[in-house]
Amino acid sequence: MQKLELTEVSSGYGRNEVIHQLSLKITEPSIYVVLGPNGAGKTTLFRTIGGILKPFSGQVKFDESDLFYSKETRRRITYLSHLNAIPEEMTVLDALKYYAEIEGGDVDRVLDLLNLRELKDSKYNTLSQGQKKRVSIGKIFLRDRDLYLLDEPTSNVDPKVSKEIRDILIKLSKDKFVLYSSHNLYEAKEIGTYLILIRNGQLKFFDKVENVKMKHYRIGIKSLNDISRLLPEAKLENDYYVVTVDSPKMVAGIINDLVRGGAELAEVRELDNPLQELFEED
Amino acid sequence: MTFWRVTMQRSINLSKTYVIIGIVLALYGTILSNLLPLLPTNTVNTPIDLTNIFPLLSVAILSLSALLFSMPVVMLFVYDKNNGIFEYLLSTGLDQLDIFKGYVKASLLLASSLLAFVIVLNTVIGTFVGTSLTLLATIAILTFSIGVSVVFLVTVSMIAFSSLQKTRMGANQPLGVSLGIIPVFPALILPFIFPSYALIIDVSLAAAILLASIGLLLSIGKLILREKLLP
Repeated sequence: MQKLELTEVSSGYGRNEVIHQLSLKITEPSIYVVLGPNGAGKTTLFRTIGGILKPFSGQVKFDESDLFYSKETRRRITYLSHLNAIPEEMTVLDALKYYAEIEGGDVDRVLDLLNLRELKDSKYNTLSQGQKKRVSIGKIFLRDRDLYLLDEPTSNVDPKVSKEIRDILIKLSKDKFVLYSSHNLYEAKEIGTYLILIRNGQLKFFDKVENVKMKHYRIGIKSLNDISRLLPEAKLENDYYVVTVDSPKMVAGIINDLVRGGAELAEVRELDNPLQELFEED
Repeated sequence: MTFWRVTMQRSINLSKTYVIIGIVLALYGTILSNLLPLLPTNTVNTPIDLTNIFPLLSVAILSLSALLFSMPVVMLFVYDKNNGIFEYLLSTGLDQLDIFKGYVKASLLLASSLLAFVIVLNTVIGTFVGTSLTLLATIAILTFSIGVSVVFLVTVSMIAFSSLQKTRMGANQPLGVSLGIIPVFPALILPFIFPSYALIIDVSLAAAILLASIGLLLSIGKLILREKLLP
């Protein structure tokens, strides 16, 4: 069984230790969203797993092989940084060929996968931000890998491209490990199966997203008729009757009571992202 | 196509100005080295011994032309570092020495191609205007050996200083040029003092500089940490 294992890894730059004694083991191919405030150490963590930075201490192993020392194992992983890392003077096709020459791979497959065929003869520096991001992401799909490290892959791209990228990753995560850092809590909740929370270079939380518990849940209920009589404790906010509950399981009972009382419900939604509370905790 | 070859092509595309200046300077050096047979005979008897000075000046100029011709490689190095390309290359399994070697090879190949062209051109023109074959051969040997060693040392020095700088401007490059050129001065000055041993002195110095450059390259591959290549 494939697995990524970090054992008491400390890492950083020069004498500046950014990651402190971090241990983590992931064994199930899936999407792992790495969350954390700015400066928490997400990029340093990715660079360390990716073999770019040598850990000060501890080990990063993939399938029992030390990722820093084994070039062969490093070829099984890929890292997408927040910079696009594409030679700007090249055409899209030449840029992909450039990387294919260095690390091997199928340029045609990438052109199709990321809808780049019509852009292949365009100079990279003439493309829009979203198109540039697609090219940059393209280079990590030149070859099949087992572990994908993606540092904010949907930053600076429009919702359409963002969704395309997420769809590719969701498909990929069926049999690959995808570590995905993001500042977007809604995106994290939508795409992630697991959540890894980093703060001050330390692991603060690692579990399935569905297991993230909140102290309170704010539920917004939109009704076509006035239900203030049925929900006297609710506050009206932007056309939603907002109630606060301790558990999502309580929502079904509230809805049943409302329907029985004659409410014509149009929408019921969770107003806050459960990851928000976790993200902001001290 | 290999990494260094792509780097060479990209360097030419990045800055044609340096390439053009390099070629113009090389042509100027070629003219200078073949000017002697065209000079009036009485000029040779002046206190300044043009017989020695002209060919050796051309060696210096031709070496400088090779340096300028290969300068875009180091500019590309800084650009690629700042652009995150090295970060990605490191993640693919290359280490810092692989990256350094790629740029040094590109630089040496660019310089060698210009020097080879210039030597052939110089020999053809020299034969045509009547420059002695011994002098042409001497210029060819000195130009190639000094030119290649200068480019090697300057490229490695510039790469080292560009890697170590904290700012992203490539501002340390001139420092690399200065330090890289200083050890070459004796190769340009000593032959004027000991003209009879010019060939031996310069070839020996070129060999020493080449060895020092190889040593420096291998050292920076080990001593400069990977994090220095990150944007």
